[in-house]
This record gives sequence, C-alpha cells and structure tokens, in this order.
Amino acid sequence: MNVRAAACVALCLPLYTGIAGACGSALSGPTRTVDGARYTVVFKTVPEPVKVGTHFAVDFAVCPRAPAETPSAVRVDANMPAHRHGMNYRPVVTARSGDLFRAEGLLFHMPGRWDLTFDVDAGGRTERLTSTLQLE
Amino acid sequence: MVGALAAFGAAAAPEGVLTFSDAEIRKILSHGPWPPPAAKDPSNRVSGNAAAIAWGETLFREPRLSVDRTVSCASCHQVQRSFADGLEKGQGLAPGDRNTPSVANVRLNRWFGWDGAGDSLWAQSLRPMLDPREMGSTVSKVAATVRANADLARGYRRVFGAAPPDDDEALAVDVAKALAAFQETIETGRTPFDEFRDALSRGDRAAAARYPLAAQRGLSIFIGKGQCDVCHVGPAFSNGEFHDVGVPHFIAAGRVDAGRYDGIGKLKASRHNLLGPYNDDASRGTATSTRHVEAQHRNFGEFKVPSLRNVARTAPYMHNGSLATLADAVRHYSDIDENRLHADGERILKPLNLTDAERADLVAFLESLDNPGR
Repeated sequence: MNVRAAACVALCLPLYTGIAGACGSALSGPTRTVDGARYTVVFKTVPEPVKVGTHFAVDFAVCPRAPAETPSAVRVDANMPAHRHGMNYRPVVTARSGDLFRAEGLLFHMPGRWDLTFDVDAGGRTERLTSTLQLE
Repeated sequence: MVGALAAFGAAAAPEGVLTFSDAEIRKILSHGPWPPPAAKDPSNRVSGNAAAIAWGETLFREPRLSVDRTVSCASCHQVQRSFADGLEKGQGLAPGDRNTPSVANVRLNRWFGWDGAGDSLWAQSLRPMLDPREMGSTVSKVAATVRANADLARGYRRVFGAAPPDDDEALAVDVAKALAAFQETIETGRTPFDEFRDALSRGDRAAAARYPLAAQRGLSIFIGKGQCDVCHVGPAFSNGEFHDVGVPHFIAAGRVDAGRYDGIGKLKASRHNLLGPYNDDASRGTATSTRHVEAQHRNFGEFKVPSLRNVARTAPYMHNGSLATLADAVRHYSDIDENRLHADGERILKPLNLTDAERADLVAFLESLDNPGR
C-alpha cells in the first residue's frame, strides 16, 4: 500500500462509543459513509459534485465503531488506481468545530475513478478507509 | 436531453452525423461552450483594465525591455503563428531548450510554462524579461527603462494612476501585470468543432452534418480508444497539469530537462509566486494550488499538457519541438514506446496501434480545432 506522506493534523477526537448513525450528523446536506474495521468516516465534498481540474475540500467526521483508541492523526489523500498515480497536491487537514474536520487543497486532474482515502492513526496502527468517486 | 441527443445522433447517421452514445455526447459537450466567460484575475489589480490592456499590448512588442533592446515578447510569440514561433526551440538572445508555447488562451492556465514554474500570468510574464537567454534584463534595468523613457512612464501613470515607483521590483512586477492584462485578451475564435458541439447540444442535425465525417471519426477516437480526453480535458483541451509522455528529456550530453520537478522548485523559491508579496488578492484564495502543490519523484520529466486549440498552427510539437507535424505527434502516441516512460510513474499511455486511416482521422479532428482569432 502506497501511503503518500500527505499532510496530517494531530486530532483530539471524542471517544465515541460506536453509534455510527450519529457520526457526522453536523454535516449539512448529502453525505457518504465509509465503514472500516474500527472506524467510520462520514464525509461530503465541497463543492459537490467534484469537477475535474477544480480544487475542492472534504468535510468529514471520524468515529470509532466500537470503543477504540482516540485517533492521533488523520490523513486524506486520493489516487487513480487504473493510472497508478495520485494527486499533484498535498491536502491539509484542520480541525473545525465539534467533531468535524476539513481537508483542503484536493484537486482531481483527470476524469475517471478516484479512490479518496482516509488514513486513521490510532494505537500504533493505521486504518485506511476508501471511498470511490467517479468523475466524468 | 442527452437521451434525445443520442437519438438524434442515431437518426442522423445516414446523412453525415456519426452515432454517438449518451456517454460520448456528454464527453463532446464537455469540450465547450467556447469561448468561456471572461474573468478577471484577482491576483492582478489591473486585470481587465482597458488602459492596462492597451499598454500591455504596446509592451508586448517593446524591445527596450530586453537588455540589448533587440528582443520583445512578440519576437517569439508571433501573432501570425498563433503566438508561437514555429521553431523547434525558442530563440531569444540565445538558443533555448524548449519549444515556445503559444500564449493564445493563456488566461485559462493554472500553471504557466512547460514546467509550470509560474503560478500567475503576470509572474510568467516577468520571467522571460529576466532570463539571460530570452530578454536578458534585470528587475533594475526594466524599472530604469520605464522611468527613463517618457512614453513608458506615461503609460505606467495612465494604468496605475501614479508615477513609476522607486521600488525596482514593484515597478517590474507592475510592467508584468500590464503585459498579463493584454495577454488575457488573446483568445482563439470559434472552430468547426465548436459549431458541431453546439449543434449537438441543441439537437440541430443539419448544422452538425456540416462537420466533416473524417473529423467526426477522429473525434470518436479522441474520446474513445485514444483516450486523449483523459488529459486534454474541457473547452481548452488541457487539464493544465503535467505528464510524462515518453519524449526524451535529455537536452545534450550531461544535461537533462527535469521538467515539472524543477518547475515546482522554482515556483516555491520565487518571490513572485502567489504566496508572495505581489499577489493583489489579499485573501490569497488564488494561491490554493501554490500552497498545496508538492514535488514528487514522478514529476521528473513531466511537462504540461498543452491546449489543442489552434494546434495546427503551432508546429513543431512537444516540449522540445521534436515532432515536426501533427501527423508525427499522432504517430508518437499510436506507437508510443512504453520503455521511455518512468518505470515507477503513472500508467496512462499505451500504444494505440492506430491504422493509417485512423491516424488521418485524428489529424482531421485536431485540424478542426482551428480558428485564427485575433
């Protein structure tokens, strides 16, 4: 797994007890949910939909699916598996109000399938959660 | 609407319009409309200013901005050659290493130059004045020239509302901003492809049928088996980013053109980038790309995807001008040598193995992107 050294931010996430339905409830508008083994990410892109060649941000929440370690960091990145390349830009994650975070500086420079990845560091392990976006 | 267009395409096939699927029609429509709406550059306070455009046009042809008063922007960006020069490699005060890119439609770029070392049109306009092989001047000499020549000083005052400042760098940047204001107006006109695209959009079968079948077949390859539109995206036919397309980047023995990799380094080091003091956009919202771009190993030997509008007028092709004709460029992609691509780079290109007829059709399509404009 090629984890690019994307920018990260130390997080002080609340230790949820695993009610995935409440995760990201503060996000307005349609959201997408990605479930991993230990964590759930709920996110939306800003703007939505993503357009080729236009910078966008990702607003998201990270929630443990069961009692689990508080994540120490989250990185957001994206790649095109079919083309074997990532973005040309390094996103930066910042904490927002409550349990929300924003990744800024993303740009998809080609149409096609992109895998948006959230790497959650906790307890000395990294869990990668991936959501697929298809751009025309 | 798209469904109706597909039906239109199918019905029109016997009368000169190929059948395109819904997905293909969406792809075709994505390459327009043309021209795109005008937009001011917030990083340049004289963008869109009529006086700046007029003065910038004068400066564009002004050889006094070069160190020996022999070279101007127009020396290489020639209007009769769609603002390129027709040479394999640029020739200012000395031979360059790269082909001169056209500045037509240049305002639509995110990055400027083959390596994207510039993040604004005004920063890119300053660079050639200071390059020893192009105009060979310095910030101080550019500033002194404007101050010392009454016509240039008058032009400055007319645009900026004050006498040329004492700060050499600020004055030179302002000169570049006037040059940028002019270049933002250099736009290619509508093309046969645009007429076809718009006819498809409004379901005008008779108008669409006027687009030559060879160009339609070439368009079908462009958005189909060729996958050219993966990089040549949108109305300008460029995603504005950088790729390794298997063109050798050796300049001469012991000299390599690192392309985008070096471009990012130059960008980050420049005082004239959009994160620096000369960006007139106080919000720095224009600096998002500059703030987030990072050099990666695969950027070595990558060069910018050029726009294809008026491409038939800007031979020779590629960053080093190594391909003489459009037919050569099409053959390059048809027969591409994968061994020339980065072993650890992206995997986008593969030999298309186009037939002679398919290559000819693709050239016909590229030639249909032509209009001399201004």
